[in-house]
Amino acid sequence: MTDPGSGFDRDFALRELLQGISLDALASALSGLLGPQAGLSDARGETLCGEARGTAPTASLYVEFEAVGSLSGAPAERLNATKQLVDLLLDARRRYLMVCDLHTEAIAADYLELQKRHAELQASEQRYRNLTAQLEQRVGEQVAIIEGKQRQLYEAEKLASIGQLAAGVAHEINNPIGFVRSNLSTAQGYVERLDEFAALLRGGANAVQAWDGRDLDFMLEDFKELLRESTEGIDRVARIVKDLKGFSSVDRPDEEVVNLNDNLESVCALVSGQIPQGVALLRHFGELPPLLCLPGHLNQVFLNLLNNALQAVGGKGDVTVSSELREGEILVRIADTGPGMEAPVAARIFEPFFTTREVGRGTGLGLTVARDIVQAHGGHIEVSTAPGAGAAFTVRLPV
Amino acid sequence: MAEYDEDSKRLTVKLVYYGPAQCGKTTNLMRLHDLARPAMKGEIMTLETQHDRTLFFDLLPLGFRAASGLLVRFRLFTVPGQVAHNATRKAVLSRADGVVFVADSQRNQTVNNGESFQQLAENAARSGLDFEQLPLVVQFNKRDLPDVLSEEEVRQRWRHANWPLMFASALTGVGVRATLATLLGVVFARLDGAYDLASRHGIDQAAFVDGALGGVAEEAVR
Repeated sequence: MTDPGSGFDRDFALRELLQGISLDALASALSGLLGPQAGLSDARGETLCGEARGTAPTASLYVEFEAVGSLSGAPAERLNATKQLVDLLLDARRRYLMVCDLHTEAIAADYLELQKRHAELQASEQRYRNLTAQLEQRVGEQVAIIEGKQRQLYEAEKLASIGQLAAGVAHEINNPIGFVRSNLSTAQGYVERLDEFAALLRGGANAVQAWDGRDLDFMLEDFKELLRESTEGIDRVARIVKDLKGFSSVDRPDEEVVNLNDNLESVCALVSGQIPQGVALLRHFGELPPLLCLPGHLNQVFLNLLNNALQAVGGKGDVTVSSELREGEILVRIADTGPGMEAPVAARIFEPFFTTREVGRGTGLGLTVARDIVQAHGGHIEVSTAPGAGAAFTVRLPV
Repeated sequence: MAEYDEDSKRLTVKLVYYGPAQCGKTTNLMRLHDLARPAMKGEIMTLETQHDRTLFFDLLPLGFRAASGLLVRFRLFTVPGQVAHNATRKAVLSRADGVVFVADSQRNQTVNNGESFQQLAENAARSGLDFEQLPLVVQFNKRDLPDVLSEEEVRQRWRHANWPLMFASALTGVGVRATLATLLGVVFARLDGAYDLASRHGIDQAAFVDGALGGVAEEAVR
């Protein structure tokens, strides 16, 4: 609580009310009005100005019903008029002092309030600064987590396409292995028949009769055919394994100088076994200069684009793989006669996680991976498509 | 709490008229100056005004001397009502022994009344007054104007408040004395508890109220 003795509404002593007024000038004025005995004294009787002669008549001065001092002088009728004048003076002075003090109190309170607000604002600003600093850190942490997850997905996508490839290839290899195995067991029977023939000869049987009786002419022809077929089948397996080798270095990339047409040939060979009846895979390879690249990675790009194209055409249509050298760039183009894409879709296909396939059927990272690999080779990849007009992806690689 | 000076036998009671801008605080004081008939009555000190609006405060001193010789002084202050002068309002309010909250009865002033009353509570707390314990009377002024809230509406809205509700028309003087008399009754109860006014100075509640207002019946000045 404010000290009542210091507020603007405190009681003022006469001395305080006269502060700032020249007491000499006041004494001179009073003596002019009330003669040489004129004087002003406070509530305790102490003289403030003029002469305080005990004999002169006195008049009390009141402020709010309280005597604050007295005025003395003569004659008595002038004393009263002079008191009224002094009352007016005191009133004016009191009014002035009260307003001054009130104003000071109000300003001080306003200033305190402002300082308080200022301190609050500073504290609030500090809070926001801390928050901002933390926010950056937290966002950084979240981004790191998301990036980590994305990298995992990205790697998973790479491996997923290899996995798909493996499934297709297993089928391809199983087929020749199947008939080679069957040929070998037939061959086993033929060898047994030759054993029997040999036994007959050793028993002194007629050789020609025995040969014909066992239809060994046919067997011999079939045996040759069977060996030729089996060799072909083994060659096919060898070729597939050779094509597969192009993908073997995905995780330990080594740069090699290659002719990209060979890579395209392998990739086409790998998918050719899975192409439906109504779909034609056309190849138009132009002359290409040797290219220093990561062949395993580029194979993955081509495989990805080719798989997309085959999916786009479905059961019927053409997929064309072409290559050419134009203005210092190798252009590989994989085009399909599928349904094509609307412009808004085409604009987003390279975005991570964008997919038009059902949930679970694609990660939406295939083309992102493809684009990243091509960009890592200093090239770029683009698509030209329209609804109903198919789609053509062009990979441009600087030589 | 009131200023009680045992040595100089003086009790000073500070009463403040508080309320929104132009609700009639100064008019209340001017009518009291006309209507009150205490033993001692000073002139109203009206401080510089701007377009009839109080800048600092008005002060009306009233007083009486008890048989015991105790001088009882009432200092009636008004605060400046304009929103911008809150620091001045708070300074005038500090050390108050009682408050008349003057509300404007006109329907379109309800929000201003509410904001001003809210600020009164805040200012009281900030200047160290216990608002719950502070003697307070709420006066709904300007009853003479059209489109004012009816008394029923006012009572309905303030039914959960414990403060006495008064209705007045300060311009004509109606209810002005009654408002102050009601506040003085509440103030007396507290001061008597603190200073034994009845037993030591022979001042009972009626004498206390009459000492400020005089025994003259309320009259309209217009």
